[in-house]
Amino acid sequence: MNNPYIPKPVRIEEIITETEDRSLKTFRLAFLNKEDEQAFSYVPGQFAELSIAGKGEIPIGIASSPTEEGYLLFTVNKVGIVTSHLHNMSAGEIMGVRGPLGKPYPINELKGKNVVIIGGGFAFTTLRSTIAYMLANRSEFGKITVIYGARTPGMLLYKEQLKEWEARNDIDLNVTVDKGDESWSGKVGFVPTVTKEVAPSAEDAYALVCGPPIMIKFTQPVLIKLGWTPETIIMSLENRMKCGIGICGRCNVGPKYTCKDGPVFTLAELNELPKEY
Amino acid sequence: MMKEMVIDKKDIAGLLTELTGEMTVIAPVRKGDNLLFGPVSDGSEAALDSVNTRLAPKDALFPQCEKMMTFTTDRQAEDAHTMQDVSEPDKQVIFGVRPCDAAGFLILDKVFNQGGAEYEDTYYLRRREKTTVVGLGCNKPLSTCFCASFGGSPFGTDGLDILLTDVGDKYVVTVLTDKGEARLKGKSGPSEADPTSIEKAGQIKESAVKSVKAGIATDKIKGKATMELFDDPCWDTLYETCMNCGVCTYSCPTCHCFDIQDEAIDTEGVRMRNWDSCMFSLFTRHGSGHNPRPTKKDRFRQRFLHKFKYFQDNFDTVACVGCGRCIRLCPVNIDVRQVVEEMNR
Amino acid sequence: MNHRDTENTEKIKKIAGRLLAEKRVDAVIGFRPGTVSLISAPTVARTEEEAAGLHWDRFCGVNLANYLPKREDKIAIVAKGCDSRSIVGLVAENQIKRENLYIIGIPCTGMIDRAKVISLAESPEVELTENGEEVTIKADGKQSTVALSDILQDNCQGCLHRNPAVFDELVGKKVEEAGGSDINAAVAKVEAMSQDERWNHFDQMFSTCIRCYACRNACPLCYCEQCFADDSQPQWCGKSTNPVDVKIFHIFRAYHCAGRCTDCGACVRACPVGINVRELTGKLEKEVRELFGCEAGMSLEAIPPLGVYLEKDPQEFIK
Repeated sequence: MNNPYIPKPVRIEEIITETEDRSLKTFRLAFLNKEDEQAFSYVPGQFAELSIAGKGEIPIGIASSPTEEGYLLFTVNKVGIVTSHLHNMSAGEIMGVRGPLGKPYPINELKGKNVVIIGGGFAFTTLRSTIAYMLANRSEFGKITVIYGARTPGMLLYKEQLKEWEARNDIDLNVTVDKGDESWSGKVGFVPTVTKEVAPSAEDAYALVCGPPIMIKFTQPVLIKLGWTPETIIMSLENRMKCGIGICGRCNVGPKYTCKDGPVFTLAELNELPKEY
Repeated sequence: MMKEMVIDKKDIAGLLTELTGEMTVIAPVRKGDNLLFGPVSDGSEAALDSVNTRLAPKDALFPQCEKMMTFTTDRQAEDAHTMQDVSEPDKQVIFGVRPCDAAGFLILDKVFNQGGAEYEDTYYLRRREKTTVVGLGCNKPLSTCFCASFGGSPFGTDGLDILLTDVGDKYVVTVLTDKGEARLKGKSGPSEADPTSIEKAGQIKESAVKSVKAGIATDKIKGKATMELFDDPCWDTLYETCMNCGVCTYSCPTCHCFDIQDEAIDTEGVRMRNWDSCMFSLFTRHGSGHNPRPTKKDRFRQRFLHKFKYFQDNFDTVACVGCGRCIRLCPVNIDVRQVVEEMNR
Repeated sequence: MNHRDTENTEKIKKIAGRLLAEKRVDAVIGFRPGTVSLISAPTVARTEEEAAGLHWDRFCGVNLANYLPKREDKIAIVAKGCDSRSIVGLVAENQIKRENLYIIGIPCTGMIDRAKVISLAESPEVELTENGEEVTIKADGKQSTVALSDILQDNCQGCLHRNPAVFDELVGKKVEEAGGSDINAAVAKVEAMSQDERWNHFDQMFSTCIRCYACRNACPLCYCEQCFADDSQPQWCGKSTNPVDVKIFHIFRAYHCAGRCTDCGACVRACPVGINVRELTGKLEKEVRELFGCEAGMSLEAIPPLGVYLEKDPQEFIK
C-alpha cells in the first residue's frame, strides 16, 4: 500500500535570500530519485509539505512552474521551528518533500481568457508559478496583467525574474511598493490603489488574487466595481495544516478542507463559507 | 451469511485465551474504576458484564499515539532524512464492541479512506484490514444512549463480524462475515445454537430496542445552508459553559482529528501522530499567530457543525453514533442532544 | 442541606431574579438541573425567566470561578467556600475586577462525588435519596444505603472552609466549620509509601491519562493564554501519552498551582478516567500551608506566599 505520509528525499541545490530582512528565502530542490521526480506532476497553485526530519513539516506553495524542469522552487517565510531550521540549512543538505497537494488554479479554464494576477507580499509564490507557466505557453492565454506589491523594494520577491518579465512585451507587469527608497524608480502605492489605476478589464477575464487579508479586503471591492464577479475572482487560502490530505481535521473551512478542496477557491465559493481562515 | 451458534459464558475466557495465541486480543478490561478497551494476555482479564466502556475502542484502529515513520537526525549519516515506514501492524480482534462503537468504525472508515492513493490513510487501513470486530449487544441501554437517532440499534450489526447476545448463562453467537467465521474455526467453545437461546435472544433484542430513546432529530440540518447554521444566534449562549477541554473528542468513537509531531532522542527520531482536539485553543493557530477560531464560541460551534452538518454534506451521514459518552463524561454537562435540538429547529 | 435542596434553590432564584431586575448585573452564573443524574450543569442566566430556572443541590460541584477570567461584564456568581477563595485568587492576579463581581456566597456542607456513587451502584443510572446523614442509592433494581459522608468528594470530606471567604450576599446562614476530618488524607497515604512504592503508585495512577486537559481547563487558576504544555519553543513536555510526558505535565501543573490552589476538587471531578490529581496538588497545598502558614484565597488583602518574598520566609532548605 502506498503511504502518502512518507516524504520523498530531495537535495537543496541553492538557497536564495529574497528579501533585505532575510525573512524570506527561496529553496531550489531536486529529487534524489528520478522516479520521485517523474511522479511529482503538478499544476500551478498546488503546494507541497516540506519535511525536515526531527523538526516537522510545513505546507508551502510551489513557486516554480511545471515547465521549469529538474527542480522545484519554494519560497519560505521564517516563522517557527521548521522554517527557522530550514533557513539555517545549506546547499547540499537533504530534506523531504511530500506532494503535490491541493487543488490548483483552474489553468484549463484560464486558457483563451485574459488573466489578471494580483499579488501582495510573500503570497506571490504560487502566482509566480502561474505566470511562468503562462509565459511558457504564451499563445494559449489572452492578455496577461500582473499587479504585484510589497512593503518596500527590498521586500520584493523574485527580483531577477521581475526584471526579465519587465523586459518582455507580452505581459503587462505593474510592480509597486508601499514605500519607496532612493534606488526605486517604479510605482509607489498600495496594491488596491494600483489596481484601480491599472483598471484591468473584466471582459472575458479571470483575476487570481493572493495576498495578506488587508490587501484582499480592499482589492475585492475595486475589482467588483470594475465589473468582476465572485465567479471570476479566484483566491488561494492559507490555513494551519498537518496531514495535507483532508484527514486530520484541522484546515477545514466549513465542509471544505483547505488542503484538499483548496487552497484555490473562487470568491463565490468562499462567500458561502465561514471566514475561518 | 448468518450463522447462529452459542457459547457458555464460562467458556468465553477460554475462547479469548485461544485467540491470544493467534493474534492480539483487545477487550474491555477493568483499570481501577474504569472499564477501558485494552489488550489481554489471558481471556479471564476481559470484563463483558457491564455497560459500555469509558472511552471508545477507536484506539484499537486509530491509536492515540502512533508511530508513522522513523529516521536518523544525524546529518552525516548516509540515510539522513530518509524516512522509514514502520512495520505492518499485527492481526487483532476487538472483542465486546457495542453496536454503536462498531457503527463508529464505519464512520472512521469514510474519513481515513477518501479515495485514491493520495487520500488513503495507510496506517488506519493497514490496521483495519487485519482487524476482526466481535460485538456485544446491549441488553440494557442507558438513558444516555440514542443510537436509534442514527439508524443504529442495541443489537445492530453494522461494522461487526460477529455479534454476541447475552442470554443469561450463554451468549448467542451470530456470525456475520467470513472473517468472523474464520475466527471461530476450530475453537472449542462455540457450538450450534439451540432454539431456546435464539428465542430468548430475540426477546432481549426486542425489549432493548424498545427502551432506546430516539434522542434527537437531525433531518432539518441537511437542508440548511452552511452560513445559515453558522450565523444562528443559538451559538451565542450554547458555548458559554464549555471548558474547551478534550473529553468529548477523546471519548467519542468518531472524532478523528490528530496532530503530527517529530520526536527524537539522540539521533533516533520518530514522526508520530497524536490525537488532537478542535476544542483546544491552539488547534487552528497559524505560525504567524493568526487564529481562524480564536474564541471558545468559534471552536464549540465548529465541533457541532462538523459532526452534524459538514460531515453530512461530505459523506451523507452524521458523524455521531449516539453512544452517549460525551453526555456522561462532560465535566459541565453540555448535552449534545440539546445542542442538536437547537441546530435542528 | 438536602441533595435536592429546595430551600437554597428558592433563595438563589430570588437573589438572581432581583439582581437582574435591578440591572445590578448583566448575568448570573449558577447551576441548573443536569440532563443526566448526579450532575448539575453550570448555566448563565441573563433574564428573570432564566433566573427562575436556577438550582442548587449536592451536585453543584463545578467551580464556577472558572468562568471569570478576562470577563468585562458585570457578573454575579454563586460561590461555595472553595469557589470564593478561587475568586479571591483571580482578583489578586488581576484576572477579574472585584467591582465587576457580585458574589452570591453559599455555605456548603459538601458535594457528592458522582464517581463514588457510580462505583457503588455499578451503574451510572442512579436514583439518590437523602435521609439526613444517610443516602439511599437505587440502581439497576438494586438498593443500598450509605453514609452521606462516605460519598462526598474527598476534598469536601477534609474541607476547612465551608463558608465563603468573600461575598456580597450570603444565601441562608453560615454553617459550622467542621475543621476537616483529615484534609491531608489523600497526601498522607502517598507520604507513607516508600520511594519504590510511590513510583509504582504514580505509574499506575497516570497510566490511564489521555491528555484531555480536563483537569487544567476545569481549574479556575489555569487561565494562561498559552499553557506551558502547548509551548513548542522550547517544548517542555511531549504531547503524547508517553508516561514521562504525562507525569511532567501533571507535576508542572501542580507546581504552577502551588500556593494558589484552594482544593476545590475541580480537577478530579473533571477527569474522565478518575485520576486523583489531588494527590499532587494537595501535597503542594499542604506544603505551602505548613511552610508559609498560608491558605490560598482567604482574603483579598492577603499577600500570595509564592508571589512575594518576605525576609521571614522559612529557609531550612538552605543548609
